[in-house]
Amino acid sequence: MKPGRFEYVAARSVAEAVDALGAAEAGSVLAGGQSLVPLLNLRLARPDVIVDVNRIPELEAAGRGNGAARFGALYRQRWLESLSVPAESAPLLAEAAALIGHVPIRNRGTIGGSLAHADPASELPAALVALEGEVTVEGPAGARRIPASELFVGPLTTSIEPGELLTAVEVPAHVEGDGAAFVEFARRHGDFAVAGVAVALHRDAGGACTRARAAGCGLGPTPVDLSGAVAGLVGQSGLDDDRLRELAAAVAAGVDPPDDVHGSSDYRRELAQVLLVRGLRTAWARAERGR
Amino acid sequence: MTMKVSFSLNGEPVETDAEPRELLVDVLRDRLGRTGTHAGCEQGSCGACTILVDGHSVRSCLMLAAQVEGCDVVTIEGIGSPEGLHPLQRAMSEHHGLQCGFCTPGVVLSAIELLETHPDPSRSEIERWMSGSICRCTGYSGIVDAVSAAARGRVR
Amino acid sequence: MTDTATAPRTDTADPGAGPASGDDAGNGVRRTEDTRFLTGQGNYLGDIHRPDLRHVAILRSTQPHARIRSIDTTGAMVLPGVLAVFTGEELAASSGRFHHHLPLIPTLRQIQWSVMAVDKVIFVGEPIAAVVAENRYIAEDALELIAVEYEDLPPVVDPEAALEPGSPLVYDDWPDNIFLYIPGSHGDVDGAFASADGVLRERFVHHRVSGLPLEGHGALGEFDPARGRLTLHASTQSPHMLRTTICEVTGLSEAQVRVIAPDMGGGFGVKNHFMREEALVALIAMRVHYPVVWQQDRFEHLAAGIHSREQIHEAEVAYRADGRVLGLRVRIVADVGSPEIYMMGCAPSVVTTGVLPNTYDLPNYAFELQCVVTNKCPIGGYRGFGQPQAIFTIERLMDMLADRLGMDPVEVRRVNLIADDALPYTTVTGAVLDTGSFNEQLDELLEAVDYRALKEQVAAERAEGRLVGLGIAQMVEPTAPNLHALAGQYGGFEMCMLTMQPDGRVTVHVGTKSQGQGHETIYAGLAAGVLGVAPGDVEVHDGDTAVLPYGMGTWGSRSAVMGGGAVVKAAEQVRDKMIAIAAAMLGAEPGAVELAEGMFRVGEAAVPVAQIASAAYLHTFLLPPGMDPGLSVVVGYDPGNTSPFPDEQGKLNVAATYATAAAAAVVEVSPNDGTVTVRDLTLVHDCGRVIDQFILDGQIRGAIAQAVGATFYEELRYDDGGQPLTTTLLDYTVPGFGDVPETRIIHRETPSALIGGFRGAGEGAIIVTPPALAAAVGDALRETGVTINQANLGPQHLRRMLREQGVSVDPLAAAG
Repeated sequence: MKPGRFEYVAARSVAEAVDALGAAEAGSVLAGGQSLVPLLNLRLARPDVIVDVNRIPELEAAGRGNGAARFGALYRQRWLESLSVPAESAPLLAEAAALIGHVPIRNRGTIGGSLAHADPASELPAALVALEGEVTVEGPAGARRIPASELFVGPLTTSIEPGELLTAVEVPAHVEGDGAAFVEFARRHGDFAVAGVAVALHRDAGGACTRARAAGCGLGPTPVDLSGAVAGLVGQSGLDDDRLRELAAAVAAGVDPPDDVHGSSDYRRELAQVLLVRGLRTAWARAERGR
Repeated sequence: MTMKVSFSLNGEPVETDAEPRELLVDVLRDRLGRTGTHAGCEQGSCGACTILVDGHSVRSCLMLAAQVEGCDVVTIEGIGSPEGLHPLQRAMSEHHGLQCGFCTPGVVLSAIELLETHPDPSRSEIERWMSGSICRCTGYSGIVDAVSAAARGRVR
Repeated sequence: MTDTATAPRTDTADPGAGPASGDDAGNGVRRTEDTRFLTGQGNYLGDIHRPDLRHVAILRSTQPHARIRSIDTTGAMVLPGVLAVFTGEELAASSGRFHHHLPLIPTLRQIQWSVMAVDKVIFVGEPIAAVVAENRYIAEDALELIAVEYEDLPPVVDPEAALEPGSPLVYDDWPDNIFLYIPGSHGDVDGAFASADGVLRERFVHHRVSGLPLEGHGALGEFDPARGRLTLHASTQSPHMLRTTICEVTGLSEAQVRVIAPDMGGGFGVKNHFMREEALVALIAMRVHYPVVWQQDRFEHLAAGIHSREQIHEAEVAYRADGRVLGLRVRIVADVGSPEIYMMGCAPSVVTTGVLPNTYDLPNYAFELQCVVTNKCPIGGYRGFGQPQAIFTIERLMDMLADRLGMDPVEVRRVNLIADDALPYTTVTGAVLDTGSFNEQLDELLEAVDYRALKEQVAAERAEGRLVGLGIAQMVEPTAPNLHALAGQYGGFEMCMLTMQPDGRVTVHVGTKSQGQGHETIYAGLAAGVLGVAPGDVEVHDGDTAVLPYGMGTWGSRSAVMGGGAVVKAAEQVRDKMIAIAAAMLGAEPGAVELAEGMFRVGEAAVPVAQIASAAYLHTFLLPPGMDPGLSVVVGYDPGNTSPFPDEQGKLNVAATYATAAAAAVVEVSPNDGTVTVRDLTLVHDCGRVIDQFILDGQIRGAIAQAVGATFYEELRYDDGGQPLTTTLLDYTVPGFGDVPETRIIHRETPSALIGGFRGAGEGAIIVTPPALAAAVGDALRETGVTINQANLGPQHLRRMLREQGVSVDPLAAAG
């Protein structure tokens, strides 16, 4: 179980990386490598050029400004779960990141890599969809931004073009009244979720919900936007049981989860309901002001 | 086409040839003779090949050797010696945290990173932190006991 | 009885008893082997270095069932760095074939197979061609350049479908897919059913799992053409038996082949088969004249290694209204996958039929065993070896009978347990149970968990709506078995070579093979106890056929019993010779010599062990007249109480002795996601005299982890087309940190009559734990209408069972 041959380029800048990708027939970006290298070892990925972006310091930056929290693509998952910028500005990403794999995986794994890999069972894509975040990609024609709603097009497939490099991730910065939660069911700690739900709410000073979004992982070929099912929460000032039941039923009716060794479609549909309610309750409580 | 890779291995500078595609675990084992790092799955799922790179635990089956140019790499050979075991190694023996020993190097290095960042971890913190290592022999309780004892300095 | 929660055993009165110290390097380790394992100095197969080592990679079938129309290896052969490419056809033409060595069983199909597929493949992963190259990377590059043209045939995946008339056939020249058929009937089964108050029928499904040692199989072959000698390093549990098979395939003699089993990263029964690849490496080494190594990668391990356990049981119990079981009928369909594995994949299911009566006085028992071939990976051994299925089924039946009759599960068992005064008891299948009292063992378990109070507490919690349950199970396990009936050769003996060196230190070679069990530590303790030296003065070696004439390896909970017995026997012979020397030196009769604390004493006069040792080699003039020099023996040990074949009634006592265990579990099921929390697990374990409780408890905890794995986490799956779905450790999920419950272990010590009083350990907990867990889950789900009749209680399965009973999830429930 060893990789096939490829050329290795350790890019020192985004421009160098984009050039190297442009010159490749089937180039792959090596960020954390926690998804790519298994595929290389299994020879399921056969790039002719590997462009290693780990030596581009600018991709490691994180900050907050203009109402957004911005993370360089190389920002490690371990930093997301443990450092203060994500904890304060993007707590949903922090919570989601803590559920990814194991410490040695998160020490290497990156926010950009996880999004670009677009595993429908993974956490960060669902969190990005729930937050209506966006990514910046740079290619030969320059930089462009892709909103989460247009990024994920299929299992392990994004709208990032060959030759483009994901360089940054932006989500609306957390403000008072925001409440978010990432909940999932995984067979063992660190496993891909059998199903998971990300919830992002906002409640105004009076406690009424002004924004309600949700997305699921493990529930379809891409992260599944469940916001339609929870839209009815907007304008509500409480989470009453009947409404939660309705929302859960709406989610159950609205998803068509995959059937695999980890869970049948029926099982995932059941989990989605349970997780949605748990996520909503948690996020709702977190959106309480003055907490 | 091979390239030269230079890094620090257990505190000593090394320079080795490596093909771009060569995994770090293979270069450590086959080119540098440090066979204490074991390859259990080559997919990042079992944790047997866990080592420290710049102080952080990583899967050496999921890194190319080329990526550690200039890095500080620590393998099990850099932790204790038969005559002078690391307290965690003694605790692992004392609490029967190992049987066949195949997962042990990765377990030890993961735990060392834990102890350096969390001096007094709870049992559940240990379990969550160590979850990246699979042990098929012990049922884990001895490992958790050992890490816990090492954290509290309760080792002979 | 000793409770693990208390201090370690201090019973060292008996020679050879007591915990050994492995403190060789003076570094405080508890087991001798720990020092090297902890510092990365273990010597596993992949650690063996040769400067001119070449690497073997194997091309494997992508099809479950197909004829091979052609193989084109041209592209691979011309790739720089490639030394050679072999196809199945080439090697088959110039080598011997494997077979099962059981020509006397008329209902077993006689087959032979080669190291790789020749013209047809029968499972995904079957070896087709092998590349030898400078390294594994290039070898795998070359595999991509081999073109195979397949003619697909319809696959047979489900074992029951394989029995249907008109099913595709795995072998064209067989009339059906039945590899082995064994019917058996003991007592008056029809009479028992005719006179019964009622009959309980149930179907049980035992899913496919694997032992999954963290290190896979592997072999490194070196051939010396000038001397015609082959050395094969292999990660095997039974190096001598492997040597015999390697000789068959290579045509070399046993004197020309040396098998060395280095440190092993686990085995669990998976490495007690003789892999085609091990012989393949030998054949390649003989042809390329370079040392060559093949290391099984994780895909190969999961798709084409050794699977285990897949069986379906259709059981019928004839019972009396008071709970007495009058008769038992079980029809077993065992999926053996590809049968091309030695030892044969039927063997565990044959054991299943033998142990189904378990701890019960059950004189009327009939079974029908059909071992069915399918287009899947070969089935073989795994810790427990056919017993987990049997004990799960019989213990579930007892619980179901209790439910039907409104009795407590304990009561039903009491009615049927073998009576204390009937022991030793010969079971209906011929097993001669030499165990302690099953009633007392059960008493001890019930007392430990305070069964009555616990039962009330569980019922009270259930009344509040929580899915909490309590279950018990008990088992008796044949240990240190005679392999003859299942492998057609070998037996159940063990060998040991023990040498007291001139300096008084001791070298021991045994024919068992540690895979992590700590044999170096326990054997050193046993030998030291007999010889009056410190455990640290004893060096234990295993796994080298060049040193010891023969050995049976480690499997079947046999090492303490047979290996330990052989070590004690050898040590006693050397000790007796030393006593004779000491007697001569001290001018006394041998009977007057006492050995204590490293000194041979007669009254006040004493000679240290080391002085006797040096006399035996360096100062032989001190020896009594006529005595041969040296202090070294090679012993064979066979208690002689087993039979190689069943008698004319089909009865067979296969085991040298028997171990027992009982377990109680309390669980809570989360109705919303189907997960099970094991709140309490208590085990009473009787493996005879305990050598080292520290090491024993480790074996038990490890077996429990695997029991929990097979019950809640693990299943090897195939799709309907025969493609394996669980080929990575992300899909075949073994328990991780936090997934294994804490267990209370209580030791009973009922010595066997064999040397040392040992009964054998390592497997009991993996056999008795799953039915206890299943009973507890069944109890928890009692009011939902769910029947627990399958071994896989993973969350999605429990949710399915609940869903089928109309129990939908309640997203608003606080828990789960």
